This record gives sequence, structure tokens and C-alpha cells, in this order.
Amino acid sequence: MRLNISKNWIALLLAVSVGLPGVLADGYFLQSVTMVLFFAYLACSWNLMCGYVGQISFGHSVFCGIGGYVSVLLLTNVGLSPWIGMLVGGVAAAILAVIIGYPTMRLRGPYFALTTIAVAEVIRIWVENTDSAFGIQIKGAEGLSVPLLGTNWSMFQFDSQIPYYYIMLGLLIIVVLMTWMMERSRLGACLKAIRGDRDAAESLGINPARYTLIAFAASAFMTAMAGSFYAQFIRFINPERNMGIELSIDMALMSIIGGQGTVAGPVIGALFLAPVSELTRVYLGSSLPGLHLVIYGLVLIVAVLYLPKGLLHPLRKLLHRMIGRRALGDGVRVKAVALSGLPGTAQGERDE
Amino acid sequence: MDWYSLTYAGLNGLLTGAVFGGIALGLSLIFGVLRIINFAHGSFLMLAMYTSFWLQKFSGADPYLSTLVAAPLMFCLGYFVQAVIIGPLIRRESALVVEPVSALLLTAGVYILIDNLALMVFGPNVRTSASVLSSSSLMIGGFPLSTPRVIAATASLVMAICASVWLAHTDMGRAIRATAQNRDAAAMSGIDVPHIYNLTFGLGCAMVGVMGCLIAPFVPVTPNVGLGFGIKSFIVVVLGGIGSISGSLVGGVVIGLFESLASQFVASSLASIFSLLLFILILLLRPQGLMGKK
Repeated sequence: MRLNISKNWIALLLAVSVGLPGVLADGYFLQSVTMVLFFAYLACSWNLMCGYVGQISFGHSVFCGIGGYVSVLLLTNVGLSPWIGMLVGGVAAAILAVIIGYPTMRLRGPYFALTTIAVAEVIRIWVENTDSAFGIQIKGAEGLSVPLLGTNWSMFQFDSQIPYYYIMLGLLIIVVLMTWMMERSRLGACLKAIRGDRDAAESLGINPARYTLIAFAASAFMTAMAGSFYAQFIRFINPERNMGIELSIDMALMSIIGGQGTVAGPVIGALFLAPVSELTRVYLGSSLPGLHLVIYGLVLIVAVLYLPKGLLHPLRKLLHRMIGRRALGDGVRVKAVALSGLPGTAQGERDE
Repeated sequence: MDWYSLTYAGLNGLLTGAVFGGIALGLSLIFGVLRIINFAHGSFLMLAMYTSFWLQKFSGADPYLSTLVAAPLMFCLGYFVQAVIIGPLIRRESALVVEPVSALLLTAGVYILIDNLALMVFGPNVRTSASVLSSSSLMIGGFPLSTPRVIAATASLVMAICASVWLAHTDMGRAIRATAQNRDAAAMSGIDVPHIYNLTFGLGCAMVGVMGCLIAPFVPVTPNVGLGFGIKSFIVVVLGGIGSISGSLVGGVVIGLFESLASQFVASSLASIFSLLLFILILLLRPQGLMGKK
């Protein structure tokens, strides 16, 4: 029963999101929705490691930045298609994650969080102050722009917003599926054991460092793909926006508020928070700058205090109560009709 | 690179470092007693700087005078934040140690809230407050040192000494130290632990409030000026040893000297990379800090 309900919901969500560009083809609207999906994807990627292991990273934006820089630099210097650049960027980010993760994995709680901030800041400050490294033009704080080539599938450039929307949707579906499969795998079980009690997990023969590193590398890989996508979508990247601490905090927040360590939580968090940010930025951005972040801050405080498991938990309860009651009511009615055709007997059947 | 400019850079680094140490004092106190990393530490600094800016704008008061307003104001705000926002978290997990990660997230929420409220209310403009001493300088051993920096560095030293004496010799100080050592035992000895927590948080914020007014004459204020100082304070506290007052000053001076000397050889914007790398190294190699006990 429970499985059927969620299957129906997923089918409905998929149908709506696939059909959306057909109904509302307005370019600006689609761009906003694509950004919402982009944040949902980032929150999911963050969740792959941080949510499941319980180590908060406030430096994930550095992977996003690396993805963007690697794919753009490969495109402008070598002419490599961003589709391949995306994967190269992902691998680079995964390698960096292993290099960072290997020594820092044993740091616990807030110390890990502070270290991730420090590492990300080191790389961001370096990029911001470097015009060229090893003969490659990085252009420092100025940022890189992607040359305009017109609609070209192999070069990841389109005049219309629709292909970008579908690519982002596809990426989001991939990361959600990946999380879903991970949760059901041995890796997921080990990660959850590590989150629950690291020492106990270790005493059972689970190697916390190894599993955390695998998850960290996967998470970095996925985050970097989003960075490459962003570079092609906006056609401009710079260290502050693509590697800054704000982006890291954004993805952590959405995942935590939605429900970290779950499949749907980060998506729900992003679907809840990202539109708030898009709407306030468009309608009140000039008169009240920072309003969306004030709302983020408030929601975060409320969520940590009153919803430690995230928005997903009460939502799911509510959903099950609503659907459960209706489903039960339907079943009873059907049974009652089948038995006697008298609605009055329904009362007695309810115990079954 | 001649000796004169190196010594001069060293002296300036010493002053900047002492100021970093002074800013980190409040963070270290809160960390030592509540075991909470106050991510919003820099935001309180920023609010104090704005307090001094607005006071000067409306009444012409010198930034140094605004200390008298900003310190009590930050105390009340800190007391309020602890009592209303962080207190419930500690109560909820009363039997357990507060999960440090959720406390970090909570204070991160406070940071996002305060910084962006400031952005909404004050706007993104860079503002400066000026003191009568702003452009004056002192000649010390043949080196011209900016007076406001000397004052701020001296003040953080004085504040550190006052705080240690107060913690060591008053009833309230003893209660705070007892709570830091073992809050259950302190509660059993009749100490009102939640009250001590509120007080400590307020005190930590008041200390950073004082420093905010003292650096206002030479640091321009924007709504996001706090985060940089906040991150630097984390570095200083981890370097010096968590909860150690003297460690906070030593950590600050080490960072200040390190950055100031490094900026003689590389661009000054790159210099902060070195202190961040030092921070990572210390966390990995000596997590108890330079002055901390194992």
C-alpha cells in the first residue's frame, strides 16, 4: 500500500515536471525553475555524503567551482566538449575529495565543518588571486565566460531554455536514483551505522574512513557536474559565486531543512527554499536585499529546534494520515458493499 | 628585503594579532563553557561596529565612547540569543551532551539571520566611522604605528587580563568555571546552569562588542564584514586552545605575525591562505591547540 502511494506520487511529479515546458514555455519562468532544480540537485549531492555520514561540510561549493572551471578551461583551451569536460571535472573533484577527506575524516562534528570551510576558502582565495597558473588563463576574480557558439548539442549550448531544463531534470533524477540505490545497498547501511555510532560501527568491522571516503568522492563528483552545468547554463563563472561559502551554506541548508540522510528530503528542502529565494530576489531584491536569506536563517533556526529530522518527517506523517484514512475508508466501503450492500455495516468492519 | 621593513611588518603583525586575539576572546569563552561554536560571532562584531557608526552619525560620539553603549547592547542581545534560541536546544538534549553539530547549525542560522537583517536595514554600502585619533600615529622605537591599532591591541590585552582575574577570583567567575568543567556537578552544587550559560554567552558577545567599537576607527563596516573576522576567530581559538584566555591572545598574535610577514613575500590577499593552512595543520596535528591541555 505504502509503496503504491509513493509510486503514484512519483509518477505524478514526473509527469508534471516533464510536461512543464510544454505548458509554460516562458523563458524566464523556465530559467527560474531550472535554478530550483539545480539547487535540488546540489542539495541531493551534498546529502550523499554529509547527510548519510552526519559530517557537515560547509565547503562543498569548491567542488562545484572545480567542475565549472575544469569544463570551461577544457572547452576554451582544448576545445573539448563540455559533456566530457563535465565528467573530467567530476573526476578532478572526486580526487580532491579523497585528498581532503583522507586526513580530515577522523575530525568529528564541528571540527570537520570548520576544516571544510578552511579548505574551500584556501582554494577560492588562490583562484581569486591567480591570473594564470601553469600557462593556463584562470583570470582570477574576473571570472571566466563561455564563448557563444549557438545551439549545438555536442557543445552543450542551446538558444532555448528547454534543453537546459530537461538536462537538469535528468541530472536530478540520476542523483535521486543514486541516493535511492545507495540507501538500499551495503554502502548505505554502513554509512548509517557510522552516523549512528562511529565507534560501534568500527567495532563491527566497518572501516569508517573507507566508506566515508567513497561517499565523499561520489558526492564531490556529483556536485562538480552541477558546476559544469551551471557554467554552460549561465555562461559565466567566477570564484565568489561558484566557490564561495554562500553556495556551500545554501546546499547544506536545503538538505538539512528538508531532511538529511533521506532520499526525498533534500529535494523537498530545495523545492521549499529555492523558490522563496527566486521570488524574493525578483520582486523585493532591490528594496529589501537579503530578504530570502533572512527567511533561510529563520527557517533553519526553527528546523533545528523543532524539526530535527527535517521537513520530510512531518510531511510524510501528514501525507500518510491523509492518504491512509482515505484508503482505509475506500477499502471498508468496498468490503461492506461486497458483503451486504448495506453501508451501515461498515462500522463493524473497521477493526479488521 | 631589509631588516627595517621586516621589523615594521612584524610590529604591525603583532598589533593586528593582538586585535584578532581580542576579538576571539568572547568566542573562546563561549566555546569553553557551553562547548558551542558560535558561528554568529562575527555578526555580533558587525553589529557593534554599526552601533558605533550610527551613534557617531546621530550624536557625533567618538567610536571609543560608543563602547559604553555597544557592550551592554551586545550583552543583552547575546543573553537573549542564548536564552531564546540556543537554550531550548540544550534543554531538549538535557540528559546528553548537546550535539555540537546541531548547535553549530543553530548559530549558523543566527549568523545568516543577523547578517542579512543588517543588509536589509542598513543596505550594502561601505561605511566608516572616524575618531579624533584616526589619522594620528605613535612613534615607537623609530616605527610609526597607527594610534587606533595600538589602542585596540592594548585594550584586548587589558580585557584578557581582566577576564582571567574576574574568572579566577569572583563567585560568578568560579560558577562559570565550575559549569565549564562539569555542568551536572555544578548544577548539583546549586549553580543555576541555564542562567550561567545565558550570562556567559552575553559576556562573550559584550567582549566582541567592545572590540567592534575599538576597530571601527580603522576597519570600514559592511553587513558582511563579520564572517571574515568570525572565521579568523575560529582559527585563533583552535590554534590557541579552546577555552583558554591566554591561548586566544597567543593564537591571535601567531596568526597576525604569520600573515603580516607572509604578506611581505606574497600579495596581501593571498596571505590569509597561509593562516587557513596553518589552521588545518594544527587541527590535524595538535587538535588541543598550542596552549591547550590534552
